[in-house]
Amino acid sequence: MLTFIGLGLYDEGSITREGEAALQAADRVFAEFYTSRLLGADVDDLEAHHGIEIEVRDRAGVEQDPEPILQAAENGDAVFLTAGDTMISTTHADLRVRAADRGIDTRVIHGVTAETAASGLTGLQNYRFGKAVTLPFPGLHGSGDVPPSVIEAIDANRERGLHTLVYLDIKVDSHRELSALDTDDPYMTADHAAGLLANDWEDELAVVVARAGSPEPVVAADRLSALAKQSFGDPLHLLVIPGELHHVEVDALESLAGAPESILPTESDR
Amino acid sequence: MLFTLLPVRVCIMGRRKKIVNECERLMDEPENIRNIAIAAHVDHGKTTLTDNLLAGAGMISDETAGQQLAMDTEEDEQERGITIDAANVSMTHEYEDTNHLINLIDTPGHVDFGGDVTRAMRAVDGALVVVDAVEGAMPQTETVLRQALREGVKPALFINKVDRLINELQEGPEEMQKRLLSVISDVNELIRGMTEEEDYDWTVSVEDGTVGFGSALYKWGVSMPSMERTGIDFGDIMELERSGEEGRMELQERTPLSNVVLDMVAEHFPNPVDAQPRRIPTVWRGDADSDLAESMRMVDEDGEVVFMSTDISMDPHAGEIATGRLFSGTIEKGQNLYVSGTAGTNRVQSVGIFMGGEREEVDSVPAGNIAAVTGLKDAIAGSTVSSVEMTPFESIEHISEPVITKSVEAKTMDDLPKLIEVLQQVAKEDPTIQIEINEDTGEHLISGQGELHLEVITHRIRDNQGIDVHTGEPIVVFREQPQEESREVEGVSPNRHNKFYITAEPMDQDIVDAIHLGKASMDMPELERREALQEAGMDKETSQNVEHIFNTNVLIDETKGIQHLNETMELVIEGLEDALEDGPLAAEPVQGALLRLHDAKLHEDTIHRGPAQVIPAVRDAVHRSLIDAKIKMLEPIQDVRIDVPSEYMGDASGEIQGRRGRVDDMYQEGDLMVIEGIAPVEEMIGFSSDIRSATEGRASWNTENAGFRVLVDSLQPEIISEIRERKGMKQELPPSIDYI
Ligand SMILES: Nc1nc2c(ncn2[C@@H]2O[C@H](COP(=O)(O)OP(=O)(O)O)[C@@H](O)[C@H]2O)c(=O)[nH]1
Ligand SMILES: [Mg+2]
Repeated sequence: MLTFIGLGLYDEGSITREGEAALQAADRVFAEFYTSRLLGADVDDLEAHHGIEIEVRDRAGVEQDPEPILQAAENGDAVFLTAGDTMISTTHADLRVRAADRGIDTRVIHGVTAETAASGLTGLQNYRFGKAVTLPFPGLHGSGDVPPSVIEAIDANRERGLHTLVYLDIKVDSHRELSALDTDDPYMTADHAAGLLANDWEDELAVVVARAGSPEPVVAADRLSALAKQSFGDPLHLLVIPGELHHVEVDALESLAGAPESILPTESDR
Repeated sequence: MLFTLLPVRVCIMGRRKKIVNECERLMDEPENIRNIAIAAHVDHGKTTLTDNLLAGAGMISDETAGQQLAMDTEEDEQERGITIDAANVSMTHEYEDTNHLINLIDTPGHVDFGGDVTRAMRAVDGALVVVDAVEGAMPQTETVLRQALREGVKPALFINKVDRLINELQEGPEEMQKRLLSVISDVNELIRGMTEEEDYDWTVSVEDGTVGFGSALYKWGVSMPSMERTGIDFGDIMELERSGEEGRMELQERTPLSNVVLDMVAEHFPNPVDAQPRRIPTVWRGDADSDLAESMRMVDEDGEVVFMSTDISMDPHAGEIATGRLFSGTIEKGQNLYVSGTAGTNRVQSVGIFMGGEREEVDSVPAGNIAAVTGLKDAIAGSTVSSVEMTPFESIEHISEPVITKSVEAKTMDDLPKLIEVLQQVAKEDPTIQIEINEDTGEHLISGQGELHLEVITHRIRDNQGIDVHTGEPIVVFREQPQEESREVEGVSPNRHNKFYITAEPMDQDIVDAIHLGKASMDMPELERREALQEAGMDKETSQNVEHIFNTNVLIDETKGIQHLNETMELVIEGLEDALEDGPLAAEPVQGALLRLHDAKLHEDTIHRGPAQVIPAVRDAVHRSLIDAKIKMLEPIQDVRIDVPSEYMGDASGEIQGRRGRVDDMYQEGDLMVIEGIAPVEEMIGFSSDIRSATEGRASWNTENAGFRVLVDSLQPEIISEIRERKGMKQELPPSIDYI
């Protein structure tokens, strides 16, 4: 049996009760932290808290050489952990398909993900989000500062009046050195992201969500150019570019995200 | 071979200062500037001639000219008696009551240093080709002529060592005339063949005054105009030359070599204003209608600065000196200039000109001159340096790629960092050298044009830089090339969300050559590239889909409308280059492969089609397609020519045949037999000493790199396994390589 468990957003306490039970019952526990990670707990904290031993796999150890995971799942109860949810932005569906193809039973125990937080903390309604994108570090993905596909996706959402959730890059690949980037921070910060996007949408409204899931999340709404000048503290950050706003959403941005009144649509605009 | 003691540089300071001032004044008058190179087959007398010119211009003392070899500034050059680096010098010369500024570059003649010659040609507008009257046009004469003509540089001929015809060979007037005319007609035949497609006639002739004769050693020279002026004819010359020391002194006084040659230079070589409108389109592919193009054509000293560095050298005090041609603008201290291929700008620390191999700083140098600039720390030989960002100059193609590699290792740990620094410097100075730094093993690799080339470099590291190094045995560089068309193979990214479908096939040699010679490159506008490739034989549709050219390999994008492929293409190219740099057989460079991308499947989000996914997927697909195309090892070969007395002919040709070589031609020339053929570079290692002993030192020979050819099947497994072992790769090949 191979059980995929999402660890949730922040620390060892963010996992669901169901996930915790499955974790403690497992014969072997694998995890990957190259797609995302918990900011409030490291592997030692997790091991101590749950009384288990975790085998951390790097990208190659998941994508190119998943054999040890599959074998463990064939011979007993194996668990595969990621931060957030294992199947949303991290996309481990492929591993699950490989397991299923070998006749291994699989199960998914969901975790809370950034998607929920983005809508939950900002007050922007889940129904009104369009396609999500990841903003990569410039220089890592070829063409220009912001890849055209990112710009196109945001544009397409805006045309349809939809919000865009922008995930921010995490530099975990060993492929290219961090020193090749213009930042020494492995987590792209929201102000950095706002700066990149401000080239196209300088005066547009955006909402920063920092440390979702932690005891002290920060939510801030302002023009992209203004957000680019602030700093939002420890990672992880994400950014939402709102589309058309429902009046309840306007109220939420004003009172929950401190949006300056001047940039929100007025009653008569709506 | 000559061996000189350290030169005593007798130089009258006051006079030198005056010359510098005069040069500075003349720099502003492009009509009176001549930028020239002297080029020749090794030992035909370039350096001796150059010394003569310097002495004539008062740059070195008369007494020592001819022995002192002021141009051979590196100690090893003076020891070996050959010029290795191109050296630069400026001098003045009065012709028809007008003073001229002559910027001159002496270039090496040995085949291993061909890269220096091509680079020098970019900086000049005229080339004085020196040919030994006794030996006649030799293989390197042909090579340097080709290098000049390809760059749009106008040739003139000086036939040197005429004293030998008179004294050694004791030739009479008729014999002598016949010999000189035959040298001229040989050279003209070469020029004609190389300028067939041009609309100008650059053949040389005695009547026009584009041919000079003389003796660089005894410092006299004549040309048609000089004979008319001085009244000295060949009869006088033979008489005076035969009548010993005194006669020669008289010749030297009445018809000094430097006057004759410098007159010829002033009269027949184009000045920058004449030359640049013709040369700019051949060396620069940017927008011909732009202001920049106009100011380069017009040699506009008030235009933007456009400088091409043709040589980088190291000065213990000033640091790196970039020497090159200033095509437009005025270069001066404090300017911030862009260097092609690097980000940001470099600040000019000083500008200067060369006087007899020594740099003289001046306030500024205007367009049309050869300048020496410090502070351009990012520049390498071949960089375009400019005050605005611009299309770089055509890369200066060197005729042959590196064929031989040697490992170097510092003997003591302390020298490790310094060695890396020196190696990087070497690569900057000479782009025909390739350096591979391996910080893990400390065993770095230098690749170059031949044994001598590498020997000279390691000698410099040892003696000039004082770094004690171990060097390995020279090893030949191999290539890998597909032999047939592959089936379509699939490359899958590690996360399995991205797939690439690729085929490989060998490319026609004509297309490979066109790319190798820079006739088709990614630097040129798309239309022009398309036409060049079609002209070389590529079919129209393929040429329209060229996405990338790497070394002599081409990537064709045959996909249609695949979403996100555009922004992923850079990573595809990175994966492709990785795969082609280290071929699948023995991690040697792949050449002459045509890769077609037929289809691709990509993940929606950039993160899941990032470098860690796309690069390995493409690398893998390229390698597997190459294997399916039955990729094989190629080895470098050389053209070999041996001149030898007929009694040694058998031994000499045996030296070629015994080296897996092939003799193509044997014929009589004068009293010698000439043997021509080809042989693999690998077998030619150690040839010098073998041929010497086989012919008791009576043979002279010349070798020239002649590209790569498929290694015979019977040697493929052995060579592959040797290289893999040396590189620490595992011995067994992928099972799909079952055809070797
Ligand atoms: N007899 C004779 N020997 C010459 C003449 N010019 C050069 N040499 C000799 O030829 C050899 C090669 O000359 P060098 O200038 O180094 O040739 P480079 O290799 O073309 O630079 C030297 O030994 C010179 O002294 C000449 O006019 N007559
Ligand atoms: Mg020389």
